[in-house]
Amino acid sequence: MDFEFAPQEQAVLKEVRAFLKSEITPELKAESLAIGYCYGGELGRKFVHKFAANRWLVPNWPEKYGGMGASAMLTFAIKEELAYTMPLIFVAAHMAGPTILHFGSEEIKKEWLLPIARGEVEFALGYTEPWAGSDLSALKIDAVGQGDHFLLNGQKTFNTHTHVADYHWLATITDPDAKRYQNMSMMIVDLKTPGITIRPMITMAGWQTNEVFYDNVKVPKECLVGDLNQGFYYLMAALDYERMFPLGHYRRLFDEIVQYTRDTQVNGQPLSRDPLIRQKMAQLSIELEANKLIFFRLAHIIDKGKIPNYETSMQKLFATELAQKIANTGMDVLGLYAQLKKGSQHAALQGQIEHHYRWSVVETIYAGTSEIQRNIMALRGLKLPSK
Amino acid sequence: MDYEFSKTQKILKDEAHRFLAKECPSDVVREMAEDEIGYSRDMWQKMAELDWMGIMVPEQYDGMGGSFLDMTALLSEMGYHCMQGPYFATVVMGGLCILEAANDTQKADILPPVCRGERLLSVAWVESDGTYNPEGISMTAELQGDEYLLNGTKLFVPYAHVADRLVCATRTGQRTDDNHSGITLFVVNTRQPGISIEPLITMAGDKQSAVNFKNVRVSKDNLLGQLDQGWGVLKKVLLMAAVAKCAEMIGGAQKAMDMAVPYAKGREQFGRPVGAFQAVQHHCANMLTYSDTLKFMAYQAAWRISERLPFEKEASMCKAWGSDAYRRLVALAHQVVGGMGFMEEYDLQLYFKHAKAAEQVLGDADFHRELVAQEMQM
Ligand SMILES: Cc1cc2nc3c(=O)[nH]c(=O)nc-3n(C[C@H](O)[C@H](O)[C@H](O)COP(=O)(O)OP(=O)(O)OC[C@H]3O[C@@H](n4cnc5c(N)ncnc54)[C@H](O)[C@@H]3O)c2cc1C
Repeated sequence: MDFEFAPQEQAVLKEVRAFLKSEITPELKAESLAIGYCYGGELGRKFVHKFAANRWLVPNWPEKYGGMGASAMLTFAIKEELAYTMPLIFVAAHMAGPTILHFGSEEIKKEWLLPIARGEVEFALGYTEPWAGSDLSALKIDAVGQGDHFLLNGQKTFNTHTHVADYHWLATITDPDAKRYQNMSMMIVDLKTPGITIRPMITMAGWQTNEVFYDNVKVPKECLVGDLNQGFYYLMAALDYERMFPLGHYRRLFDEIVQYTRDTQVNGQPLSRDPLIRQKMAQLSIELEANKLIFFRLAHIIDKGKIPNYETSMQKLFATELAQKIANTGMDVLGLYAQLKKGSQHAALQGQIEHHYRWSVVETIYAGTSEIQRNIMALRGLKLPSK
Repeated sequence: MDYEFSKTQKILKDEAHRFLAKECPSDVVREMAEDEIGYSRDMWQKMAELDWMGIMVPEQYDGMGGSFLDMTALLSEMGYHCMQGPYFATVVMGGLCILEAANDTQKADILPPVCRGERLLSVAWVESDGTYNPEGISMTAELQGDEYLLNGTKLFVPYAHVADRLVCATRTGQRTDDNHSGITLFVVNTRQPGISIEPLITMAGDKQSAVNFKNVRVSKDNLLGQLDQGWGVLKKVLLMAAVAKCAEMIGGAQKAMDMAVPYAKGREQFGRPVGAFQAVQHHCANMLTYSDTLKFMAYQAAWRISERLPFEKEASMCKAWGSDAYRRLVALAHQVVGGMGFMEEYDLQLYFKHAKAAEQVLGDADFHRELVAQEMQM
């Protein structure tokens, strides 16, 4: 056993930290926050190009696809480091990309992986439809093969970051008569294609997700990923990558709450001397440690050449429930001050706590709800019967 | 990072699993809980032949020279089989005190017979306030000529009734503000005049005693470590032993799952296995999370101890988390199994009791969370 990063991993992480410290500006943070920490804003793109030029976006990919042939451990560590400073989320590099690497043909790998690794293109996730949330086998969007293209008609909902990304990582129905799981195909669709309409849906955390309408949209057949009608499996693989959940962002919030307890005097002593506060803070730090261990376990499994099974669902579940606890405990600790928004007089910690408190609601919902994660752990992990 | 045991550790664990499956099935566990002595000499000797007594003892004292992590592998199997007895008191608690604080002469005197299975140890630490804090230690040791005179009462001393030597924590110096100095450790022969041992009757059937010391004479040579500086040793042993206890919990948690999950697959109600009901599935999923997190928290801390890295924070994190996780996991197992799990004849009850006992010994979750807060400089 060994629970520390290898020396060469530590060396890269040190460089990454230094880079992030000098390159992440308040303006970049503001832009990123405004679009829900998705990648695609103007400053964000500049930053990511520079970041990716070091091969840090996908270090564990082979060199010919833009990686450095490093460990998945390093990739995970960099993701966590980045999340601590600014939680940028990459669909192309960290969800679709590994799926393409695994299932894609050589042509599609050549076409997409290098630009993804360089941070030049970004995707948006196109799964959910109004009638298909947790049950993605209920998709309806129609993709009919016609000569050299597919003709798409249908509707997606909650497709975050379609308004800033370049391409849609889209799950479509290509054989409506086939059985469940055998009727779906994955495509990479240029979001500027005529016939696509994107409409904002504003979340209670203030940022935007979208509904997307496809109205006789022509998509070239080269945009198909892997085999026709096997898309459900690719989607599940990409979902698994999405669920490997860096918690750095909430970890930083936690650190700020701890600092607040040291700095805030109540009844003539720092809040941090209050036994109740100490218990709560210690508990969160313990759970953060547990999360760290099950997060890097995923990288360990991948580095052993295996595919994580229930372990991914466990980590997503644990991390997101912890995110909510951190935000809620922050509300407790700051008390009445916690409700004050950024910009208000007397706001503490720049109003971050109430914002994260609102935001954290969705953590246990997207990328598969907590219930779905527990189902997976029970069925896949423990082989309990489905009926 | 590497989350796996080495090959030799795996072999050790597998061997321990097979040995205990044969020697320590649940009827033996039940029998030992009722038995006054609480362990079998015969099995003890076999364990000694397997080198388990000296697993962490350097070879120069007839031990196996293994690491703390090696011992973790063994303890998790003992937890799996709910093995009670003086192993933890002798090898983990007593052994660690000796390894940490004894001088060469004392080690050469004490450890080889321990490794041979001929000598049992324990640690007399807690007193009437029932905590592991230094302020609770008030048993006195007064210097008279070349001897110390020990007076006081120790409680919750594990397997004192069969121990040959006790490591005793006494107060020799003035109390300082933090109570950290003025504590001295002695190795005391339990057959020394003035010692009386009274059994306590415990929920889990493990043996604990109250030990009274009345003018017990102990030679200066039996002072362990340095005068007045015993707390540093105790604190370190507390944390290491807490991690070792978590290793036991890993196995216990695994066994509780190994009972509940197959039960849920086999037991039918409403025309299907109860494991097909989502409420039950989610209980099982939560058990899996407790089990995995407990495991890695303990392995990480144990690995740090083995590598001589700072381990204080990880150790307390692990005991705080483990104490809650194991208890909750067993509670979920009870819920999954239903009424049958409440029956004395069903083994889950053994683990229910073990979980609580393991939680309370060596500092419970609140106790270790406070230590974590201190480590966080709060
Ligand atoms: C802000 C936001 C951003 C999102 N971004 C994207 C995106 O970029 N791309 C995308 O494709 N999707 C996105 N989603 C969609 C998200 O993945 C879904 O909301 C999520 O999977 C849950 O689906 P649902 O909302 O339809 O809930 P439902 O599936 O209707 O679930 C409602 C409740 O029923 C429970 N439930 C459902 N099925 C089961 C079951 N089998 N067992 C037990 N309980 C069950 C759920 O756990 C939940 O509690 C986003 C959602 C939000 C809110």
